Amino acid sequence: SVQAHKEEENPRKTMEVNGFMPVPDSYDYDLIVIGGGSGGLAAAKEAAKYEKKVMVLDFVVPTPQGSSWGLGGTCVNVGCIPKKLMHQAALLGQALQDSRKFGWQFTEEVKHNWMTMTESVQNYIGSLNWGYRVALRDKKVTYENAYGEFVGPHTIKATNKKGVEKLYTAETFIIATGERPRYLGIPGDKENCITSDDLFSLPYCPGRTLVVGASYVALECAGFLAGLGLDVTVMVRSILLRGFDQDMANRIGEYMKEHGVNFIREFVPIKVERVEEGTPGILKVTAKSTTGDQIIEVECNTMLLAVGRDPCTRKIGLDKVGVNINERTGKIPVNNEEQTNVPYIYAVGDILQDKLELTPVAIQAGRLLVQRLYAGTTTKCDYVNVPTTVFTPLEYGACGYSEETAVEKFGEENIEVYHSHFWPLEWTVPSRDNNKCYAKIICNTQDNERVIGFHVLGPNAGEVTQGFAAAIKCGLTKEQLDSTVGIHPICAEV
Amino acid sequence: MGWEERQIRGYPEFVRTAQSYHGRPIFALFCGDKDAEGRSWCPDCVTAEPIVRKELHNLPDESVFIYCLVGDRAYWKDPNNEFRRNLKLTGVPTLLKYGTPQKLVEEECFKSELVRMLFTED
Repeated sequence: SVQAHKEEENPRKTMEVNGFMPVPDSYDYDLIVIGGGSGGLAAAKEAAKYEKKVMVLDFVVPTPQGSSWGLGGTCVNVGCIPKKLMHQAALLGQALQDSRKFGWQFTEEVKHNWMTMTESVQNYIGSLNWGYRVALRDKKVTYENAYGEFVGPHTIKATNKKGVEKLYTAETFIIATGERPRYLGIPGDKENCITSDDLFSLPYCPGRTLVVGASYVALECAGFLAGLGLDVTVMVRSILLRGFDQDMANRIGEYMKEHGVNFIREFVPIKVERVEEGTPGILKVTAKSTTGDQIIEVECNTMLLAVGRDPCTRKIGLDKVGVNINERTGKIPVNNEEQTNVPYIYAVGDILQDKLELTPVAIQAGRLLVQRLYAGTTTKCDYVNVPTTVFTPLEYGACGYSEETAVEKFGEENIEVYHSHFWPLEWTVPSRDNNKCYAKIICNTQDNERVIGFHVLGPNAGEVTQGFAAAIKCGLTKEQLDSTVGIHPICAEV
Repeated sequence: MGWEERQIRGYPEFVRTAQSYHGRPIFALFCGDKDAEGRSWCPDCVTAEPIVRKELHNLPDESVFIYCLVGDRAYWKDPNNEFRRNLKLTGVPTLLKYGTPQKLVEEECFKSELVRMLFTED
């Protein structure tokens, strides 16, 4: 019959009618990147170099408080960049105090204006958002401010903020959707609490702040808020900076405590209630001890949750294309070429299982992946000996193993730890702490005393650590370190 | 009501003009002064102006396009001139959306795709 004949001629139409998405035989794009953050943009810009037809989809689902932001991802908008700028604002406050001892005279009391700082920071971020858009357009990468999700093989649906849907197909996909802050799941949390997603654009000073969490996000935020003169309390469930060297973590905590940050240890919030409206208003937080039945109440103007981040992988249609995710964590397992279990779908950045959640790692992984795809290289991303820095009031830079992990992996008898306190010269005149800055290296005695761990606690820790990371990558040994003459007078010479 | 153009010269006149259009989208193109024959001392401005003008029809309704001559070459080279100090301009030509961090500087102004993006997108 005519009907059957027509269906035979167009099997794709038959499949569509029956609810199956067909595999397209030619694609709209060579590459579609879902997520315009550190990893996604690096991959997209790299692919454009090889004359590939690329699209980037980026969309920020507003926070419960209504915060949103432009192109660039977490680091640029609500992470590293504003964090470091606000940390700097706090350091400058300290410097102003120190300056009196160096002879600067000013009689007025020094105060901090939250709005002035926030407007400047947001203005800078705005210029970065714009810069990325110019870069993408200039390299002919198509950018859509739309939420991308898979609907079938090689096919995604992009929904913009007006709800308009469009379908696009591509030969290859890179998922780089990143993470968002986790909420506690207690009464009143979404309505009354803020997260790092809200903090850096908060249109009013947060005032007396309760920070919940013990991650680097929690400690860095608590640190700069206190440095700006606010009354800050950190509520910690168990240990500080899980996953980091615990001796260093405790030193950081001690320093913060001695410098005006209150800590409530071994408690978790169970309820948040708004007692008074306003910006910021007043909140009453009820918390329960983790070791007994004790219940306490804490009053604050702002409650900042920093209890973890969850990958944005649950609502992007991965089930429609069969991409495996870790059901418990939401992270995507990939092989050492960032490939998921579906050969034409790759992933980079914070959403990867068992990989470091750092901007430079995502950028490196994204770039190398694209070079492997389109330039025929074979170089894989090196996730070993990646240096990091925590920008707490006393900064902490690290590269390689923590003391605990080194002992676990190599055995206590095969490890030698060399350590030293130091007193930065700049801290002597203003009489700042002479016994807080600290550095240690962990060496493998079975391998020529190779330096396998580097840790430094002190000013400019990031700047100090970067160079040592390169040396460690070259196989630095204790002997080589000893034979390197120090620069004087600097902290790093220790 | 479509868009309108104002042609002005110098920083004080720019500030007055921008303030008078407060509340409407304001786009501004800053160029070096022109001589009696109408040629600017700034060669990049000579290149950019016709490219920018070709995209003006994309300007959103109600917006204002301010064409601003900044001064002579000596004035511009002074690192303390008011445009550099207050508007943070770093080069001419500069095309910007006033009150936002969105701008195109020098050779970026030669690319009609980018000019169109500045005029039409948020």
